[in-house]
Amino acid sequence: MIGNRKTRRGALAATACLALATSLGACGLDSGGSSEGNDDEIVIGVSLPLTGDFSEPGKGVQRGYEAWASYVNDNGGLLGKQVRLEILDDQSSADRVASDYEKLINQEKVDLIFGPFSTRLVVPAAQVAKDYGFLFVEPAGAAEEVFTQGFDNLFYAAPAIADDHYNLLAEEIIAMPEAERPKTAAYATMDDPFAQGTAYGLKDKLEAAGIRTVADEVYPPNTTDFSSIAAKIADTEADIVVGGTQYQDAVNLIVALQQLNFQPKMAAFSTAPTNPEFPEAIGAKTEGILSPTGYTPDATYPENQTFVEYYTEMHGGPPAEDEANAWTTGEVVAAAVEASDCADPSPECQQQLIDHLREATVDTVVGPLSWDAEGRPESAHLIQQYVDGKIRIVLPKDQAEADFVAVKPAW
Amino acid sequence: MSGSLLLQSVILGLLLGGLYALLAAGLTLYFGVMRVVMIAHSAFLILAAYLAWWFQRETGLDPLLSLVVTVPLFFVVGFVMQRLLLARLRPATLTMMSVLLTFAIALTIEGLLGYVFSGTQRRIQLDYSGSSLEVFGANIAVVKLIAFGLAAVALLGLWALMKLTRFGQALRATIQHPEAARLLGINTDRIAGFGFGLGLATAAIGGTALSLDSTIYPSLHWHWIGPLMAIIVIGGLGSIPGAAIAAMLLGVSQSLLQVPLGTTWAQTVFYIALFATLMVRPQGFFGGRLAQRF
Repeated sequence: MIGNRKTRRGALAATACLALATSLGACGLDSGGSSEGNDDEIVIGVSLPLTGDFSEPGKGVQRGYEAWASYVNDNGGLLGKQVRLEILDDQSSADRVASDYEKLINQEKVDLIFGPFSTRLVVPAAQVAKDYGFLFVEPAGAAEEVFTQGFDNLFYAAPAIADDHYNLLAEEIIAMPEAERPKTAAYATMDDPFAQGTAYGLKDKLEAAGIRTVADEVYPPNTTDFSSIAAKIADTEADIVVGGTQYQDAVNLIVALQQLNFQPKMAAFSTAPTNPEFPEAIGAKTEGILSPTGYTPDATYPENQTFVEYYTEMHGGPPAEDEANAWTTGEVVAAAVEASDCADPSPECQQQLIDHLREATVDTVVGPLSWDAEGRPESAHLIQQYVDGKIRIVLPKDQAEADFVAVKPAW
Repeated sequence: MSGSLLLQSVILGLLLGGLYALLAAGLTLYFGVMRVVMIAHSAFLILAAYLAWWFQRETGLDPLLSLVVTVPLFFVVGFVMQRLLLARLRPATLTMMSVLLTFAIALTIEGLLGYVFSGTQRRIQLDYSGSSLEVFGANIAVVKLIAFGLAAVALLGLWALMKLTRFGQALRATIQHPEAARLLGINTDRIAGFGFGLGLATAAIGGTALSLDSTIYPSLHWHWIGPLMAIIVIGGLGSIPGAAIAAMLLGVSQSLLQVPLGTTWAQTVFYIALFATLMVRPQGFFGGRLAQRF
């Protein structure tokens, strides 16, 4: 599929050029004011989905990148030079994103590149970056397929890939005394690589520790009625229920479980509980629900406090995960640039940057990050829990805002 | 499968089937009255659900009270839509063109919902959303019971209207033989408009019932239209009792099949039943006589 896309890319890019040249002045035919030859600034090329399916998160990433560039420029720049972002809109199209990065590297002659948003766009973009030997740090693209394409230039600027989101919770459960530890677990996961990855990562670890799987329900993404799934889970009387969920599925499943008066000791769902809409949907019955989170403005890492303060002043509200991951991307690239003392498109410099990150640990807004050989971050997601009506960090202990509640109150 | 899970699944299936019956009733009525395939029916369901959610958020009152406004409103909208849009389609290509026209209406409603309320997924928060009654060890959710009650009342009301009133007689005459109805002095155009309004009024009730126990978002209607279409074909196009029986049977089968097969395969029961119906008895299993003519 990827190979096929690669061979088709040239033809598609050419077709896209013909189609768009007249209306948009695309394809570098008239790209005046390009960055070439200006030694006072470092130009960073980015393609983002500013329109189309991913435009919401795409704009979040854009805000994060722009806040980071502005912060760096306010604080003396990078290697003493000002940073300028060159942002193109890929319209959420995988073909467009590849030609965008070709354009940024070939015509705009940018010094560095940052990644786009989401797995679907990260993979083709990373392929272009690899072809040109560019360092490719990306803010979103946590699915396993990103790391199995042989990209030796890619680094994911977030704490953990999907399978590792629940790691801290797994450790906590396994460390419990035998008598208190849950004995049985029920899993409900959306048939989606990301959502399912989170729950199955936890499942593998709990099974290895002897916690029996009594239900493993997989449902298609369009499922809206969860009463039957809830009935099956309730029938198992599992001690812990784990959801590999996105949003509406988690909310509907939780309400369906409540309607059956099923009271597990522990309930963990990915993504949904950290959504501000979640307590509005569930009402007062959120107490004790657990969720992994890649980012929260409440984390006490010093970099994060600086970020939240700067961002809040700039935008009037705290940043969300997309903004944070974009800022993290900036921090990671900046750390490599400063350590290697270079920021130019030459293969030597880019290779130096890549080699540096392979070995480095970078302090970021999501904590210290390091990567394995395929670019998977080796950290873990924070675990949050609804305690006293508010979602708070409970794991790891050194970041905790509240104590981990092992037996959740009835919902 | 344990006994309690079996009982629970049957109860959930009956409740689900009741909701399906209500949601499908309007769809089969449009076809009966006008040979119109109304793709936008489920979009109107979601619109009613949004109105119920919005009503509850703004006033803090129970979303069921929004029916006082939405039912007459949808009736008028349905009447106007039939008179101004659908009545203008050429009779020869009416069924096919109505698919295109109502598809466009569905897209318009979805787009407007997204524009006004954003794509954020919403849910009505009710004190009783997680409450249930325990019957022989099975739990019956209060919200599902209310939705089932709404369905029962609406369908009985529809039945009474069709069977016991002069308007119902005229509507049935229009369904069964429009030319003959006209010869007897029935203003079939206007009756068709009222019939369409009636169908859309059921969408107001169905959407409100739906909103009590689901998370809504503008594109949700695409998930509903397929199963609902399957129900009305299996039940026999144009037959409301047929649609209701098919809905109950499919609801219970889906719920029971979910236990051994899982969600993904249980969903296919609609389409397998649809294929089987089209092969064995294309006019549908109940009602039937009308669809035979097509």
